[in-house]
Amino acid sequence: MDSQMMTGNLAAAWGARLADVDYIPAFPITPQTEIVETLATWCERGELAARFVSMDSEHSMMTAAGAAEVTGARVFTATSSQGLLHAFEVLYSISGWRAPLVLVNVSRALAAPITLESDHNDVLAARDAGFLQIHAETCQEVLDSILMAYRIAEDERVMLPVIVNLDGFTLSFTREPVTVPDPDSVRRFLPPFRPFHLGFTASSPHALGVAVIGGTTYAYFRHQVHLASRNALEVHRETAESFHALFGRRYDLVEGYRLDDAEDVLVMTNAGASTGKAAVDAARARGKRVGLLRLRVIRPWPADAIRQALRGRRAVAVLDQNLAPGQGGILYQEVAACLYHETARPRALCSFVGGLGGQQLSDGAFQAVFEQTAEAGISGTGRGPVLLYSAEEHREMTQLQMVAAGSVRREM
Amino acid sequence: MWQRETFKKIKQIPREEHVLPGTALCAGCGGLEALRLAAKVLGDHVVYVNAAGCFTMLAAYPYSSFKGSWLYTTMGSAPAGAQGIRDALDVLIAKGRVPKDEDVKVIVLGGDGSTYDMALSSTSGAMNRKLDFYYICYDNEAYGNTGMQLSPATPFAARTATSPCSLQHPGATQEKKDIFEIWRAHRPPYIATVAPRYPLDLAEKFARAAAYTGPKMFLALSACPTGWGYDPGATPEVAKLAVETGLWPLKEAVNGVVTHTYIPKRKPVEAYLQLQGRFRHLFEPTVHTEAIRHIQGQVDAYWRQAIQEQA
Amino acid sequence: MVAVRFHGRGGQGAKTASRILGTAAFVSGYVAQDSPIYGAERRGAPVAAFTRFGRDPIRERGAIAHPDVLVVADASLLDDAAAHVLDGVTGQTVLFVNSSLSADRLRTHLTLPEHVTTRDVTGVALQQLGAREAISALLGAVAARVVGLEWEPVRSAIDRELRDLGLAEPVLERNLTAARLCYDSVEPARLPQGAVQAVGAASLHHPAYEPPTKGTARIAAAGNSVLRETGGWRTFRPVLVADRCNGCWLCFAYCPDGVISMNREDRPVVDYAHCKGCQICVHECPTHALIAEREQEGGVAWTAK
Ligand SMILES: Cc1ncc(C[n+]2csc(CCOP(=O)(O)OP(=O)(O)O)c2C)c(N)n1
Ligand code: SF4
Ligand code: SF4
Ligand code: SF4
Ligand SMILES: [Mg+2]
Repeated sequence: MDSQMMTGNLAAAWGARLADVDYIPAFPITPQTEIVETLATWCERGELAARFVSMDSEHSMMTAAGAAEVTGARVFTATSSQGLLHAFEVLYSISGWRAPLVLVNVSRALAAPITLESDHNDVLAARDAGFLQIHAETCQEVLDSILMAYRIAEDERVMLPVIVNLDGFTLSFTREPVTVPDPDSVRRFLPPFRPFHLGFTASSPHALGVAVIGGTTYAYFRHQVHLASRNALEVHRETAESFHALFGRRYDLVEGYRLDDAEDVLVMTNAGASTGKAAVDAARARGKRVGLLRLRVIRPWPADAIRQALRGRRAVAVLDQNLAPGQGGILYQEVAACLYHETARPRALCSFVGGLGGQQLSDGAFQAVFEQTAEAGISGTGRGPVLLYSAEEHREMTQLQMVAAGSVRREM
Repeated sequence: MWQRETFKKIKQIPREEHVLPGTALCAGCGGLEALRLAAKVLGDHVVYVNAAGCFTMLAAYPYSSFKGSWLYTTMGSAPAGAQGIRDALDVLIAKGRVPKDEDVKVIVLGGDGSTYDMALSSTSGAMNRKLDFYYICYDNEAYGNTGMQLSPATPFAARTATSPCSLQHPGATQEKKDIFEIWRAHRPPYIATVAPRYPLDLAEKFARAAAYTGPKMFLALSACPTGWGYDPGATPEVAKLAVETGLWPLKEAVNGVVTHTYIPKRKPVEAYLQLQGRFRHLFEPTVHTEAIRHIQGQVDAYWRQAIQEQA
Repeated sequence: MVAVRFHGRGGQGAKTASRILGTAAFVSGYVAQDSPIYGAERRGAPVAAFTRFGRDPIRERGAIAHPDVLVVADASLLDDAAAHVLDGVTGQTVLFVNSSLSADRLRTHLTLPEHVTTRDVTGVALQQLGAREAISALLGAVAARVVGLEWEPVRSAIDRELRDLGLAEPVLERNLTAARLCYDSVEPARLPQGAVQAVGAASLHHPAYEPPTKGTARIAAAGNSVLRETGGWRTFRPVLVADRCNGCWLCFAYCPDGVISMNREDRPVVDYAHCKGCQICVHECPTHALIAEREQEGGVAWTAK
């Protein structure tokens, strides 16, 4: 197993390559484009025995992806932000078809205003679409998660599509060492795709994606998608064990960092969690007993694992890199809901919103988060949503506003 | 002179049915008439890729009318669904996971609303990629499934639920979009218009199309008793008058070269318009001579040019 | 509160009938509510609509599970399991059926409540309006009479609702005349006195995961729509006068539903279980060998399963 420097995007492409996918419909969007460019090259050179097709939009791309998957091909595709939303109605179709493809989303904040850098409103908008969601922290995890994703998705107990998410820029364009698993081991880990309920052939016709009339039928099929998604909790556990045995790396639904004796816990997702871990180290050095809980699998929602990790803590802060206007942080709501029935639930639950559109999460910001969380824990009153924005950011913004308003003129 | 080669007499229409009864579509549906005849040529080794519309009800759990396969996609992306299926079959056959004799024809089935607007990008993409598929647009000249609203295929002056009529604006003020020419600009190997009242012409065209690899595009006149406001039994009569007045030219384009497969004597358009509730306001309470003259003028201009080009 | 449920086939006007009743009750000074069930029904498929009215604010919404009055626009619906016409009907429910058959005739093969009235509304429509499907005003008028509303509010409700549909003045007048005939042909019924149904908690099933072959909205039984009979959609059936037929196959070629097959003598055989009665074959037969016969209820088309 050799290790090499690669970006998150390249790692994603390697995931698809090692999964030996059959079909890749594509459409460019920053910061995802490098993934499909790489795959196009590999297909061209014959290094990957897949058909690569440039589609006319993400809506078409996702439709082609789903349609190919239900024909019996193993499908990979990737998008980001506006592209994910452009394909939105198709996401629900694909999960309804029980088409277990893998979609990589490279998180990028949504317009307007249009921007390129990351936050998680794009991928979380798809949280109810019936896709499983795995959010990766490192480039290695991107690659590994794609392999795990196919195995979980294609399990008869699940048969649902998966989104593997990585942050734009902070992972997509960031290089770090990644170990590329050897193809033989991957073949042992990931059995070939031979679905019973899919495939359009002359001798076994069937109708899929059909209309239903009335709530009885509709509710049944929607329940099935939910139950399939819940099954993925156990299938993920088995998959993680087998992955660990073969490749030596272990991934759980959630990851605890310095939680053992932590009285306050910060909850984060994706690559931002690395920065969060650094902040935990810094706070620990100042004598604070803090830790971090990273949510890796967002769908199915790992309620038990979260409860277990947060039970008995003094205070918990959820740092959402997304904003539901008029409500606050999206993950905060879900964490709160799953702690409600926990008798030993944390004394205070705080919501912080930061890192929108690539906004820097500074050491100082984290320190403020820890301080406010500790205070909340002591007083027993949660707070938030706190919109993280430093005084320095505010000064810079004021300058820009002056320029935009025309109050700054060129010296003649 | 265009001549039919495969289908010369009505008794050559295959007896076997491929779209089975028990459908939820209206009695007398002209679109179903067209699909049924087309399916007799296409057979059962097919997968229909459907866009939202009336025909979505042809496969409604737990019943399907098709002996072949079916995938409902979305209103805007059925051709992309066809792309995915065709590509996947090619790959799986190449890799030996699907035997060659298990292959199926991929057929998009969409209404005019989907075809002329929302799925146009997706259709253009599929044609541009030279996808080997059939496209059947059943053209009932409105958004039928949602209750007959104006679509880009609605003809000038027709009343729909969203083009109500007043004296100033007799129905739709826009002209029907020329999707045939839009398709032709993509140079697919085969395009044809059909009308189920002319079953041999229809069947012949599907038979001819089979010889071509690539996009095979069909635009089927789909007289719609419910939306057009006439008695269901008159569906063939309405279709016949659409053709005989020259409003619905029967033609094909092979590699871009257009041939009219039937040259009508061209009855006055009133004969067609008067049959239908959606044009009644052109005749009652007062006759909108100008609107009718405009429609006649458009038809005359079309055929002047068509005959010139064909000569 | 009085709860009236209408059953019809798409295109027969059950929805408009429910609106006519709603408006008539409203104009009469009641609190009223009406609504249809929207499916993807096309013309001919079973549909339902609901009207509630009373003196107090109406808290119920949506489908009426236990109607006081049931109005059936087409007797064939009683035999169509998919239409669920008799669901929630008790011995007290007042039932009106558009049928030329007597209640007793219907009872020979159906279990019906005590109060059943039948009238041949379609016959009136054919006679007065010359159309077979336009019976909304007629049904609305019947329903209004059964629940005891006066004619004047009913008249104004029909006027409003049909005008909204864009009907021309002469057609409207003819509808009003036909509706009055129907209104006068029935008696107000004694409605069940709001006996509250005792309802226990539903026994809940715990949904369990099933393999995707079953748990996905897919149909492996290709072409099984034949299980669904559409013969009941017909008002007229095509009947062959064999000696006029020249065996030209045109009826076979044009039937949209593919329910005509040609036998060995090149004569058409109609599958009456599925023929929707569109009359295309009748119109197109060059020798008039196919004729339209008014469908008789209790006949083979929809009783034979
Ligand atoms: C994205 C989207 N927008 C709107 C609809 C609602 N819709 C369903 S069918 C339909 C009309 C389609 O018209 P057409 O393609 O002409 O088919 P027809 O209904 O006439 O058969 C519409 C607007 C939809 N299903 N999807
Ligand atoms: S509305 Fe028109 S196109 Fe749609 S099913 Fe009815 S007749 Fe056919
Ligand atoms: S009435 Fe219509 S459905 Fe019935 S056989 Fe004739 S053409 Fe076919
Ligand atoms: S159309 Fe008339 S004459 Fe021709 S086969 Fe049918 S019934 Fe006989
Ligand atoms: Mg249409």
